[in-house]
Amino acid sequence: MEKLISVLIYLIFIVSAPLFIGIVNKLKSRLTGRLGPSIFQTYFDLKRLLRKETIYAQSASFVSRIAPVVSFSSILFAGMILPIGFYKPLISFNGDIILFAYLLGLSRFFQILGAMDIGSSFEGMGAAREATFAVFAEPIYFFTLGSLAFIFKFTSMYDIFHSISLNDPSFIIFIIVSAISVFFLMITETSRMPVDDPNTHLELTMIHEVMILDNSGLDLFLYQYSSYLKMLVYATFAADFFNPFNVQNHIIGFLLYIIILLILIGNLVWIETMMGRFRMKNIPRYLLFAASIGILNLLIYTFFNK
Amino acid sequence: MSINLFFWGILIQSLCAIIPLIIKNENRYSFLSHFGALLGIVFSLLGTIGNLVFGSSGLIYIGFNPYWNSLNFRFDSLSTFFVLLIQILSIPALLYSFSYQKPYIASGKKVKLYVFSFIMLIVSLQLLTVANNAVLFLVFWELMALLSYLNMVFENEKSEVQKGSFIYFVATHLATFLLYVFFLMLHQITGSWNFSEFHLVFNSTPQYYLLFALGFIGFGIKAGFMPFHFWLPKAHPIAPTYLSAFLSGVIIKLGIYGIFRVFEFLKPTDPILGWIVLAISLISAIFGVWYALAQHDIKTLLAYHSIENIGIIGIGMGIGLIGMAYSNQTIIILGFAGALFHTVNHAIFKSQLFIGSGIIYQNLHTRNIEKMGGIIHYAPWLSVFFLIGSVAISGIPPLNGFISEFIIYNSFFKTAGYFGNYYPIFMLIMTVGLALVGGLAVACFTKVNSIMFLGLPRTELKAFHVSRLEYFSLGILALMCIFIGIFPQPVIAFIIAVLQGMPIVNSFGNDFSVISSAFPAFSPFTMIFLSLILFMTMTFLFKKFLSRKSRIAKPWGCGYQHLNERMQYTASSYADELNLIPSNILMIKKDAVVPEDIFPKAGGHFHSHSHDFAEEVIVRPVYSKIIKSINRIVFLSKNDIRVYIAFILIALVSYLAFAFFWKF
Repeated sequence: MEKLISVLIYLIFIVSAPLFIGIVNKLKSRLTGRLGPSIFQTYFDLKRLLRKETIYAQSASFVSRIAPVVSFSSILFAGMILPIGFYKPLISFNGDIILFAYLLGLSRFFQILGAMDIGSSFEGMGAAREATFAVFAEPIYFFTLGSLAFIFKFTSMYDIFHSISLNDPSFIIFIIVSAISVFFLMITETSRMPVDDPNTHLELTMIHEVMILDNSGLDLFLYQYSSYLKMLVYATFAADFFNPFNVQNHIIGFLLYIIILLILIGNLVWIETMMGRFRMKNIPRYLLFAASIGILNLLIYTFFNK
Repeated sequence: MSINLFFWGILIQSLCAIIPLIIKNENRYSFLSHFGALLGIVFSLLGTIGNLVFGSSGLIYIGFNPYWNSLNFRFDSLSTFFVLLIQILSIPALLYSFSYQKPYIASGKKVKLYVFSFIMLIVSLQLLTVANNAVLFLVFWELMALLSYLNMVFENEKSEVQKGSFIYFVATHLATFLLYVFFLMLHQITGSWNFSEFHLVFNSTPQYYLLFALGFIGFGIKAGFMPFHFWLPKAHPIAPTYLSAFLSGVIIKLGIYGIFRVFEFLKPTDPILGWIVLAISLISAIFGVWYALAQHDIKTLLAYHSIENIGIIGIGMGIGLIGMAYSNQTIIILGFAGALFHTVNHAIFKSQLFIGSGIIYQNLHTRNIEKMGGIIHYAPWLSVFFLIGSVAISGIPPLNGFISEFIIYNSFFKTAGYFGNYYPIFMLIMTVGLALVGGLAVACFTKVNSIMFLGLPRTELKAFHVSRLEYFSLGILALMCIFIGIFPQPVIAFIIAVLQGMPIVNSFGNDFSVISSAFPAFSPFTMIFLSLILFMTMTFLFKKFLSRKSRIAKPWGCGYQHLNERMQYTASSYADELNLIPSNILMIKKDAVVPEDIFPKAGGHFHSHSHDFAEEVIVRPVYSKIIKSINRIVFLSKNDIRVYIAFILIALVSYLAFAFFWKF
């Protein structure tokens, strides 16, 4: 029964991934004084892509054909590791925090290969940037979640997030510090505003959009869907830090999770409206800052424990 | 019985090595000796497996009279592990060597010496790992060094081959020299030459630290830990590829074997030593992969990746050392198991990648990846196999590299959990360091794969030939990668058996259930990975079913119509942003001439190259100092043999006098 509910929740999670971006886009438009598309616009876009024909470049090989599939599936499986609300995730074992990072690595590996397959330098540029920033992103992940794992002596996401309780005031600091760096990580990995701009086309300074320049139809559908999923996966990851505030109830936990997601959307939109994109040169510095926040966790912990 | 089988196998291999010296016909002797040696390896492999199953780890004396009894062999668990590794990996290496020689034979090259020395190399490696006697060990060690040197000068007409092989020769003898001192000191303390009697009790006198340093550096030069790695990126690219594969997959692992022996002999109980090993290993791992990222030469790149992987293995060993210092069996097991598992994995995928690069070299006659591209359209299966190796070496699931890195990650968490204190912080640094290595490896291998295989060919490719035998040897290795990734349990069971037999582990008790309880559970992986692969296949088929409408078109160049192969992203531009971060250490020299005027008359050029820090800052100055001091005594050099004999006499007499007055 427990398993069944988890499966059900995860299905809802998958289906509502485009909605998340839809809400972000709508809110962003509103804040910048436009009416904006409907929050279901992302679904319409996806539906349109399903009907379109798939075009392959002459120089494309089978890598282009499998890359979207691999990228999509591995993100889907990475999402299964995250606890949603108070529910036990579908995949949970000791050490799943490592699997999570490496499944996202698998997705990235094939996305880069898919981009490089065409041999156009536009995609090459995007792929090079993706690879570069990912090198910084992985340490951020391990600094935050790794330090929590060392603190709680658990290596499973579910156990780690369930041992967060507000009884010990020092944990509040952990949560705040971790949440900040995870938020940075989310922005980098999902190519949102200060790092990448998901809306402008034909600017050479982009990462995600330029990588999928030559994809169309079903391939683009898979890529888009996986980017929506990735967004929600990272948002859930960030939300999990505030969850469940010792709430032992499934329904309240789930509602709380949704509220936290909405607050997160608010933050994201606020940042996107207030800030412009960074210059590409400055992004590593921004990422290193996020990484150094992560190590604060452990330093605080060590001093508290002495 | 099974031991006899092993030695009969060795005998067959040695006989096959001599075949080239008897038979004249090049093709015939190449075939006979390679496949005969393969048969011999199968025999000795059966012998080793039989020995593993029926368990006799006692001493085996080879000899006819009692004085020879000092020449003895022993199949203890560590030897068995490495012998098995050598034997299994030499099967694809031999197959590939056979097909590598073919075009050279066809072009009229005499390959007698190389066939002979390669098979003898395999023989000496097997005997080296089972030798129980220090003198015997050193003899085979020296043989290994000489025979791989003989193979390395395969294309001895090239000046880079002469230079690189010389560097290898010097480095390997530096290692041997340190090992001589190491074993002499061990003999002096224990009064024995036998490995099985080298059991010291570690105390914190300087003597023990000196011993540890000698052993670690001596074997570390062979393994390629970071400051001692300088010979690796020089020797690998110039060696014939079957040897590079073997060198990287197997021979540098003997350095790891040696370091395990050092641990076994000395039983170091000082956590500082563990920390030193960890620090050296982490530096090797991070900068190994970073140097690799800066390379254009595929074989140099893979050589630097070997340094990275040796670093990862070393991290496992360092954790094990820390466990030894605190007498914590779980940590020892996790650390050493991670190291051993990664040894197996690296041997598999590095052989695969080297064989792949060798096939490309034979077709394109270049090792510069900037001149490759589009190979996937000519040899799709080659690129599939290379891709599998690349994913595995980057430590990405569902392949084998992930499993060993997972064990090592786990050992970090366990170490921090057990020892507390300042350990969590350092272990966090190790965790992040390993994650950084993983990220850089992804960057590097996406670079390699996309520049070499994807896109458009940068030089004109007419035909691309890959023989069946080459596909076969690549195929076995790729299957191993996949199988171990999804079903790690058999390898884990084997490693548990190895650990049970290792004195440094079983001094705490060698109960199977206790040892296996130290490991994280691997059963989730099998299920997750199988369902992941199933899901991918289903999505792919579903996509194929849905996309009946698909067509081929020109790539979208954002409005520009005339994209060509020269406009593709290059390897150096792909890696540039990352390489600029430690540019002082990578010593990247860029040399650019920009063409001037609107219609430039003279062409410009751009050249960027990374120099090895250790070579430029440590090795070269020391080398030039040595040369300078030798130049000072060059006046002694007379072209007269009598003078030299006098020198030898003086040296001998002074040595004897020294030995006489200095009682050991």
